[in-house]
Amino acid sequence: MTSDAVPRASAANHNEELIPRYTFGERANHWIGALSYTFALLTGLAFWSPYLYWLAAIVGGGPTARFLHPWFGLIFTVSLFWTFKEWRRDMEVDDGDRAWAKAMPYYIQNEDDKLPPVGRFNFGQKLFFWGIFCGVILLLLTGVALWYTEALPWSWRFVRYAAILIHASAALITIGLFLIHVYMSVFLEEGSFGSMVTGYVTRAWAWTFHRTWYEEIKGGSRSKQ
Amino acid sequence: MTNGWVDIKNTDMMLIMGGNPAENHPCGFKWAMEAKRNRNAKIISVDPRFTRTSSTADLFVQIRAGTDIAFLGGLIRYAIENNRYAKEYLINYTNAAFIVKEGFKLPEDGLYSGFDSAAGTYDKTTWNYQEGEDLSGKTDAPASAAHAAPSAAAAPAPPPALPPNVAYDLTLQHPRCVFQLMKQQYSRYTPETVERITGIPKEQYLKAIDMFTSVRKDGDMKQVATIIYAVGWTQHTFGTQIIRTAAMIQLLLGNVGRAGGGVNALRGHSNIQGATDMAGLFDSMPGYLKVPTPTDADLASFLKRTTPTSSKPSPWGSWNYYSNTPAFFVSLLKALYGDAATKENGFGFDYLPRVDRDYSWTHIWEDMYNGKVKGMMAFGMNGVMIGPDTNKNINALKKADWLVVGEIYQDETSEFWRAPGITADEQKTINTTVYRLPCAGFAEKDGSMTNSARWVTWKYAAVPPPGQARLDQDIVAQIFLRVRDLYKKEGGKFPDPILNVSWAYADSAHPSLSQVAMELNGKALADLKDDKTGQVVVKAGQQLPGFALLKDDGTTMCGNWIYSGCWTEAGSQIQRRGTEDPSGMGVFPNWSWSWPANRRVLYNRASCNLDGKPWDPERKQVWWNEAAGKWAGNDVPDFKADSHPKDHLGPFIMNPEGVGRLFAPIGVLAEGPFPEHYEPIESPTKNLLHPEQSNNPLVKKFKSPYDKFGDPAEYTIVCTTYRLTEQYHYWTKNNPMNVQLIPEPFVEIPVELAEEKGIRGRDMIHVISARGKYTAKAFVTRRLRPMMIDGRKVYQIGLPIHQGYRGIQEDAERDARTPANLLTPAVTDPNAHTPESKGFLVKVEKA
Amino acid sequence: MSQASTELIRISGHPGTVPGAGLNREFQVCKLVDTTTCIGCKACEVACLEWNGYTFSETTFDNSYQTMPETAWNYWNLIKFNEHERADGSMMLLMRKDQCMHCEDPGCLAACPADAAIVQYANGIVDFQQANCIGCGYCMTGCPFNIPKFSPEARKVFKCTLCNDRVSVGLEPACIKACPTGCLHFGTKKEMKEMAQTRADQLRDVSGFADAGVYDPPGVSGTHVIYVLHDAKNPELYGGLPKDPHIPYSVRLWKGPLKWLGNLAMVGGLLGLAWHYMRFGPKKEEPIQPDNGNGRRP
Repeated sequence: MTSDAVPRASAANHNEELIPRYTFGERANHWIGALSYTFALLTGLAFWSPYLYWLAAIVGGGPTARFLHPWFGLIFTVSLFWTFKEWRRDMEVDDGDRAWAKAMPYYIQNEDDKLPPVGRFNFGQKLFFWGIFCGVILLLLTGVALWYTEALPWSWRFVRYAAILIHASAALITIGLFLIHVYMSVFLEEGSFGSMVTGYVTRAWAWTFHRTWYEEIKGGSRSKQ
Repeated sequence: MTNGWVDIKNTDMMLIMGGNPAENHPCGFKWAMEAKRNRNAKIISVDPRFTRTSSTADLFVQIRAGTDIAFLGGLIRYAIENNRYAKEYLINYTNAAFIVKEGFKLPEDGLYSGFDSAAGTYDKTTWNYQEGEDLSGKTDAPASAAHAAPSAAAAPAPPPALPPNVAYDLTLQHPRCVFQLMKQQYSRYTPETVERITGIPKEQYLKAIDMFTSVRKDGDMKQVATIIYAVGWTQHTFGTQIIRTAAMIQLLLGNVGRAGGGVNALRGHSNIQGATDMAGLFDSMPGYLKVPTPTDADLASFLKRTTPTSSKPSPWGSWNYYSNTPAFFVSLLKALYGDAATKENGFGFDYLPRVDRDYSWTHIWEDMYNGKVKGMMAFGMNGVMIGPDTNKNINALKKADWLVVGEIYQDETSEFWRAPGITADEQKTINTTVYRLPCAGFAEKDGSMTNSARWVTWKYAAVPPPGQARLDQDIVAQIFLRVRDLYKKEGGKFPDPILNVSWAYADSAHPSLSQVAMELNGKALADLKDDKTGQVVVKAGQQLPGFALLKDDGTTMCGNWIYSGCWTEAGSQIQRRGTEDPSGMGVFPNWSWSWPANRRVLYNRASCNLDGKPWDPERKQVWWNEAAGKWAGNDVPDFKADSHPKDHLGPFIMNPEGVGRLFAPIGVLAEGPFPEHYEPIESPTKNLLHPEQSNNPLVKKFKSPYDKFGDPAEYTIVCTTYRLTEQYHYWTKNNPMNVQLIPEPFVEIPVELAEEKGIRGRDMIHVISARGKYTAKAFVTRRLRPMMIDGRKVYQIGLPIHQGYRGIQEDAERDARTPANLLTPAVTDPNAHTPESKGFLVKVEKA
Repeated sequence: MSQASTELIRISGHPGTVPGAGLNREFQVCKLVDTTTCIGCKACEVACLEWNGYTFSETTFDNSYQTMPETAWNYWNLIKFNEHERADGSMMLLMRKDQCMHCEDPGCLAACPADAAIVQYANGIVDFQQANCIGCGYCMTGCPFNIPKFSPEARKVFKCTLCNDRVSVGLEPACIKACPTGCLHFGTKKEMKEMAQTRADQLRDVSGFADAGVYDPPGVSGTHVIYVLHDAKNPELYGGLPKDPHIPYSVRLWKGPLKWLGNLAMVGGLLGLAWHYMRFGPKKEEPIQPDNGNGRRP
């Protein structure tokens, strides 16, 4: 398989050569998910605390926020399920991840050179993915119960009681993961954000953060359309 | 009602039986609840079903429909045996001490003396008092000379009359005194027998009658009990006798005339009382005056026949107020025929039709079915639905030439040709011409309504009638004026009764109901003078102040003597809205006007002892004021104002005896002087007292193909019909607000019956009688329970009457469109002619 | 303002006692439903519809006199009918007018996220302001009595207002006005409580209902609709009146600890991340090193 590395016109530097990381579909899906999650987050926060109720005004007021929140939640769910279908294999946790997990403090302290090499996604990303995935399953199930609360007969009211607690708790978990995700991709790891915009990373980036994956790409042992 | 709605708040005990006031008279039921809350009064509810009234009761007893006389008869027995009766009251205010004629026989075999089994009628000669004097302590005194053998009915003797001087025994020991006869009559109604007949377990029964009679424990007179009933009592072939039994109990216990007491009929519509007062029945004239029959040759002989003469123990007094019948009747004739009523022509007596036979409700339909009645004008009632045997009524209307219906909806009567089961082809063969006249609704017309408490209350129109709808009186006036014109033009066989009718309304085509009310009150046609002073009391042309001034010489006119006083020179009394109640006893003397003479409790003289002092000083109604030499009171005394208690004038002034009748002499009631338990015409059992005479011997059955009766072997279930609080008779099924409350017809059936038949609640079921099939959903409930009748399990079911084949749900075909009266038989009470819809036989099938 | 003028505490230049001091106007209103005198006539149901401008609801027969299984968004007042057989075999037909209880500690209000969609007046009336309602239905979860009902058309929640519009101009609620038997009363909480207690005493002492009592549940700090019950020990018999109603624990947990925990976590998380950036700075890519064969950097 020939490398589909594209030489950067201005530089002959091998390090700066761009290689594809995310397809267009992956990127589009990511941003659909990101936007719908953000919408659900903001409207959800409006219902969470009176001090954030003003957030509802941004999307057109309380009733509109109430109306759209579940729909955006659904969009996010669909987006996530598509991601699941596409990335399920990449997200499988393997022995390498266990080693990486042990070395996580190095990662946190930006001593990435002390970490074992990782594939397309590191264990932290996998944790994030599965965290969000499980959270959304809970949000979906409880969300439907809250969406159509009136359809639940009074004798099933325990479902309502469970739903309000689980929905909020699951949302809090995803919010935590979301914050870390945004922080890392936008602020912490330079090049990450761009990769989700353009779809490309530099060879150096790939070598630095996802060496195994880089080797696979470079060696052509992994096919990627 | 002898008393009134508000007066119920003064009671200590309520026996609610044959009625369901919580559901059918919810506004009036307030006073029952007031009595409960404020006086710790008790409610005993006796009903075939556990109703919403029962839910507020202190004791509920489930009775088999139609066995009320057995229940009440046993109560009389219990009260006598346990000294729970009002002795002084009984001796002095009832005919308990009167001696009954020799030859009178109690109905041990179901028949009183004098029954002619061939004709099916009674010779009532022996149902009379014995002429004579005080027979106290002379139990073996020889019978009076007027010994009449019961069989001596060969020659047409003059109609029996009450003797002017009645033999009596104030010790109540004489074997033929009314008290002893009554005691003997009900000695057969033991709790064991009552249990076998009514299905009420003995312990429950004893609990109920003990509770009721507890107001008269050891004869103490302070407490008062009331009996409240409605059509659950009247709609039986012995309905009048049930009510009489209640009256006897109340006399025995001294509860009549007293605040919180009485026998209280709850009328089913806002103005049923008014309709009855105004001669709603074929056999009465306005104010319960009697109708002429073919034997009444002229006014004088009619008045002689219908004016009672007093009949009492010689030392006692009897006002015998109906001795004024000539004044009442002549004034009525003057109101009917005005100037055409002269002394010479018997005040137009011959203009009145003579009533020769029974023209009551079921006979109208029978006659129409037999082609004798050619047309019908139906106003303010839904003829097809209202009475028994709907199929017969529909088939009768098919044979009529014409039908006029004045209504606010297209009711079942005006759409009889669209009843379920009539095909389009058959519709083409029906030649009855139906005229539908849009009428004004109740809120669109003014006029007066007379409620159960005899309050005549004026109401005002809230809105004008819509569209082409017209007032009833306008329609009637138009018809009358045109018929009169025809008679004027064409003469006819006997035009005088029509041409001479007094029609003195300002606008003859649109008579004002206030003018009608003034006509009912009556006015002086000449100056009326005081008998003693000779002073003019009422000038000619003035409204009369009351019926006391009515004259039999044609100088007064009055449309209804009992309404005299309702619209006087002082103005309309029925429009009064004074809310003062000085006594705090709910008399409200200035709120509208109550007949007679604005009296709120009838026979209220009986609320005092012989000395004229109230039995209960805390509930003072009237009393003798020695200083003034007059009766005074919080209510209007129902008595001769200056009659000193020493005169012993009887408090029941409307009876020739002056006292209450435990024994109803001669022709007061058709079946006999004391009520006897008879089974409904359709009954699951033979009469346990006398199986050979199971039913009321005077009941007649029609012979049309629709008058079929069920065999108890096939039709094993007792069925009763009733109304619901959510619906008003047959109209509110056109009102969405009511329809949503009770959207569909249903049949209440006991859980046990449902299990036996595999019926679950909400299942469609058929209720089938010998006459028809009713289809509705099953309401499986524990509020009706199987009963043991003489050792056999009997089920009772009940169904509301409201739905038919016209209404919101009916039009949308959301129910089976079957009227309840498809099931009921057209057999009636011989006294009041009321059909027996509260107890008949059916079978139940899953649909 | 008018109340302020009736109760004086101090008066300038005034010798002696202050007239009007301690004249305490009772603000707390209360509806008393005496189930023992209810006859199930449903006049209150119709009066409620008429006053509030609601019309016909499609209903079906359900083996009961009850109009519908439970109150609806446009049917706020419903008499619940329950057949009950007592230990001695005697029958009872328990009829209880079901409507908003106007809790002193309203679960609906506690659960509501929308600014001013539910208010509690000083007189005790808990009222929904549909203009502010967002239709989330949390009030339905917060209510221990199954009262607030969602209108799919309006996408808002509705319930009995205790006729706030009438009460505020000195009229009694429409249901009270229509009640024919005097089973319904309206007045101050104190008066109603006394009246209810008197009636309950009467039921115990005179009518043989040993367990008669007043239902004014302390779990929601009392209600502004109170019941007299023949059997106050078993309120469930009356169409599921809860024995010990309170705001659901999950709502309490959600609106209490969970909220503060969540807020803390979110704010803490943000601060933590900011601290991390300042402490460790960004991760930067490094130039590719020659492969030393084991995949690790030299």
